[in-house]
Amino acid sequence: MSSGLPSSDPIVEVINVSKEFRRDQNSIPVLNNVNLQLFRGDYLSLMGPSGSGKTTLLNLLAGLDRPTSGKVLVCGEDLGVLSEGALAKWRSRHVGFIFQLYNLIPVLTAFENVELPLTLTSLSRKERKEHVTTALEVVGLADRMDHFPRQLSGGQEQRVAIARAIVTDPTLLVADEPTGDLDAKSAGEILDLMQRLNSDFQKTIVMVTHDPNAAARAKRTVHLEKGVLVAEPTSVSHSK
Amino acid sequence: MKTFKYIWRNVTRNWIRSSLTILSVGVSLGLMTLLYGFIASQDEWGKEAKKNNRIVVMNVQGFSGQLPIASVDTVRGMQGVDAAVPYSWYGGKYQNKEMPFAQFATDPNEVFNVWPEFTISEEELKAFKENRQGCVVDRRLLAKWGWKVGDRIPLQGTFYPFDLDLQIVGAFDSPQNTDSIWFSWSYLDEGLKQKNFARTGNSGTIFARVGSAEVMPAVIKAIDDRFESSDSPTRSQTEAAFAQMFVDMLGNVRSYIQSIAIAVVFSLSLVTANSMAMSMRERVTEIAVLKAIGFSRLRVLSMILGESMVVTFIGACIGFLIGCMWLQLLNSAIPQYFPFKPAEMIGPWMLTTFVAAAGIGLVSGLIPALKAAQLSVVDGLRRIG
Repeated sequence: MSSGLPSSDPIVEVINVSKEFRRDQNSIPVLNNVNLQLFRGDYLSLMGPSGSGKTTLLNLLAGLDRPTSGKVLVCGEDLGVLSEGALAKWRSRHVGFIFQLYNLIPVLTAFENVELPLTLTSLSRKERKEHVTTALEVVGLADRMDHFPRQLSGGQEQRVAIARAIVTDPTLLVADEPTGDLDAKSAGEILDLMQRLNSDFQKTIVMVTHDPNAAARAKRTVHLEKGVLVAEPTSVSHSK
Repeated sequence: MKTFKYIWRNVTRNWIRSSLTILSVGVSLGLMTLLYGFIASQDEWGKEAKKNNRIVVMNVQGFSGQLPIASVDTVRGMQGVDAAVPYSWYGGKYQNKEMPFAQFATDPNEVFNVWPEFTISEEELKAFKENRQGCVVDRRLLAKWGWKVGDRIPLQGTFYPFDLDLQIVGAFDSPQNTDSIWFSWSYLDEGLKQKNFARTGNSGTIFARVGSAEVMPAVIKAIDDRFESSDSPTRSQTEAAFAQMFVDMLGNVRSYIQSIAIAVVFSLSLVTANSMAMSMRERVTEIAVLKAIGFSRLRVLSMILGESMVVTFIGACIGFLIGCMWLQLLNSAIPQYFPFKPAEMIGPWMLTTFVAAAGIGLVSGLIPALKAAQLSVVDGLRRIG
């Protein structure tokens, strides 16, 4: 895990980004001229009503989608110009995903799920094992590594998903409603864990959420309204 | 974690569906193995026949014609011929069963000179030569029917109006199961004379052994030239050509078999493709997650294709075993059509099943794999913010 103080250069820059989806002959604008910067060690929550473009913006930051216009730069790399293959490779190095429904592979154990992103690297079996064990220890599930997802609770599944997200030590963690499917206790544990990843390991996190309590754990919160970034009413200043 | 482990877990994720797909592939490829095994056995028969420098002399009219017994001596006396015997198919019933094994009337004094690769003890050969009603039996046939030397074998004539009352005087060993018994041509002919049968003094075919393969064409020509102007002109050929003739008599078997094989492969591809497509539909989100964390299109494509290949490969292994078991059983039951055990005809034909399985795996997995590879991650995750 990398650690260190936040750097002065933004690791994510969203510059005049607009995104439209086409349905038949119709063009549906989802994001409109969005500008955003994230710095190393940032923890940003994205809030807004359904259909406001939160997940679309998250997908653009994570290199899952391309803007219709504008630029998304992550670590100086313009994601809009990368080929499909290069983008996949880039994601494997730079992005860790945390989904609302965990999205673990049901036929793989917790260990194997966490190991999955490492199979794309040139690490040896022994090195992979070390990385996976460390990641599972960080999320407090080292003793459950041989369990299949069906043998874990929702909160435990999400923790395995977080371990999978951090095992490659990515530049950016993106979380889409990470507590949306959990009870309050488990949600609290997941938020604690994410906060610890941010504070102890300086992980840069972008989290989409509807939950104000979850958003309150982030250092900054931005709101999207009809595809427009409106304000940062409860911004917690990040170190520059 | 190796990629294969993930592929294997996906194969076994819905074990009922996978087992049914594997079984359908297995049974169908088992049938294909059997059909290709049949072709291989015919080819093997031809190869074996080529080794033996034997010539088969028939009436130019084919099996409907006969050859005067005097022709045997004529052939025997020709240059290049080492030995010759009459060889007539009797085709009788045994225990009211229609031709349960092959029965040939021949010359006990010469027959083991024409088939020197067949072996029999001196005592039994002597008894065969001396006992007019004696017969010798392929040792595997002896075991199959539970006979022993001294047993009587009554055969009821179907083509010939004379019933045989044979006594087993010995058993011979042969490289392949001939499923046949040999008895004295004289015994049959004398019996037919007693019944005033019109066409006595004839043999269905003459088998002759020549010194080397090189002289066979010349001897064949000399025999046919010799009988060209006789009442019974001949059509002579090598034993290999004679064996091939039987295959040809079944029609264009190879084309039939290849057509069946193509139909089997095509329909199996559809069955397996359907199974793979169902499996993929259930895993759209999972595939989207794989792509999100960095799995390339090629890797996703390879994994899905690998999955279908594993299914069809297992099916091919089962099918190959089933096919070989059928061939083994048929070799025991009807060796005249399946003269070789699978172990006796190991060859490239055995790969056909696996090549077909690879084809089925590729064809059936290709469309689901391409769809998975081209899946949009955003669509796969089914989330719109």
